[in-house]
Amino acid sequence: MITMSKSFTVNIQRQDDPHGPKYSESFEIPYEPGLNMTTVLQRIAANPVTSDNKDSTPVAYDACCLEEICGACTMVINGHVRQACSALIDNVLKETTGPIDVKPMSKFPVVRDLVVNRKAMFESLKRVKAWVRVDGYHDLGSGPRVSPHEQEDAYPLSKCMTCGCCVEACPQFNDKSPFIGPAAVSQAILFNANPTGKIDSEARLEVLASRGGIADCGNSQNCVKVCPKEIPLTDSLAKAGRDTTLYKLRQFFGR
Amino acid sequence: MAHPTESVSLQDKNYFLMRRLHSLLGLVPVGAFLCVHLLTNSTVLAPGVAGGEFQKSVERIHALGPLLVPVEIVFIFLPLLFHSLLGFQIVFNSESNAQQYRYGGNIRYMLQRTTGILAFVFIFYHIWQMHWFGKPLGGGAFELHDAAGAATGAMTTAVAIQQAWWIAPVYAIGVLSCVFHLANGLWTSLITWGITIRPSSQRTAGYVCAAFGIILAIAGMGALTGFYNYDVKSPPPVVGDGHASATSQGL
Repeated sequence: MITMSKSFTVNIQRQDDPHGPKYSESFEIPYEPGLNMTTVLQRIAANPVTSDNKDSTPVAYDACCLEEICGACTMVINGHVRQACSALIDNVLKETTGPIDVKPMSKFPVVRDLVVNRKAMFESLKRVKAWVRVDGYHDLGSGPRVSPHEQEDAYPLSKCMTCGCCVEACPQFNDKSPFIGPAAVSQAILFNANPTGKIDSEARLEVLASRGGIADCGNSQNCVKVCPKEIPLTDSLAKAGRDTTLYKLRQFFGR
Repeated sequence: MAHPTESVSLQDKNYFLMRRLHSLLGLVPVGAFLCVHLLTNSTVLAPGVAGGEFQKSVERIHALGPLLVPVEIVFIFLPLLFHSLLGFQIVFNSESNAQQYRYGGNIRYMLQRTTGILAFVFIFYHIWQMHWFGKPLGGGAFELHDAAGAATGAMTTAVAIQQAWWIAPVYAIGVLSCVFHLANGLWTSLITWGITIRPSSQRTAGYVCAAFGIILAIAGMGALTGFYNYDVKSPPPVVGDGHASATSQGL
């Protein structure tokens, strides 16, 4: 026997191509327990008919790991940036009495619908050399020992998935400011703490002490609040402040 | 798009240094001056002859004589101008989202920029109204002595404050903006310079800066209340008979 089931409405900001106009479409989704935003987008793809019974197209979105590890499905749900896969509809519905509002991240160029190009973040990672340099593929032997204390400091920073939440919520990361963003600053701090990565620490500090670096941080501390991986980003930003202070003093007075 | 010019690249090249200078100048001398200024002005509440203690404090400052103007320009006006100009650029380069993300830190971020603009407008209004700079433009109310050498510091200030009903509220908003901007700026500067790193130390610093701001706000509001309630009808009290000649001659 068919019973009347609850349903909820999702308003999605859509855009057909990178230059196309933005428009909004509503979809009525039958309620099921345990839905997340990605499954909602799958339901829409299976039956792309809007609330006012017009045929539409499946909403384009990124998704990969589906367990908040890759960061691909980051979008703005009810005005709050997060991953679609871990945005449980039961919780999202509690945040609002009206329809669920879904938009792509605003700080990156839209490719289509909810898909954005996060190239700016990867360019920032390149600027701060967010890697450990190795000379070649020959056996270098075992690396330097890392104390458990250092590991405990480094591990949380290594969880960054470059999802874009921190820069989306950062009021300093915008078209008018060259700020590289909290994620890249934190990665610079991570690789400067690495015993092998240290070799490039001055090059990283030089970037942090240049335009777009730590001086462009405004201490709103939104980054640490929205980070889904609970990375201590403000610790990294303050450390970047300390390390660049000392770096510039060393540079001025001589080592 | 802004056309890349020589000055832009020069600014980009020295941006880190300029921002650290901006931070430093906001604390010393500008912030330090605000503390001295508000504490000095709060002496108008001191018991005894109304404005007597205040007059003595101001005369100590004016004892610098002809050096006072260069000291004011080099140690207050120029640092304040640099702090303001770079501050405006910081405001214009930020996009506050405090409506969307209502975290305490984000609201303080927005308030820091708002109070910066309010403080800028207020300070220039205040300088015009009180300082001799403002005289050609109809301001310049503050006089330490009248023609006869009698003490009128508190008197002239009080007259200027009581001139219209809206002046005292404007002063309250202006002074509180300056105090918030300094107290919150002190908190962020501890992060900027890398002194407080962990959330726990930043929280402790937050309490200290809040206490500092509250004390300074009380001093400022006390001073304002003192001038607002100052009896401008009675003749100015005469104190410090020798000071008048000392200040006019300078050091």
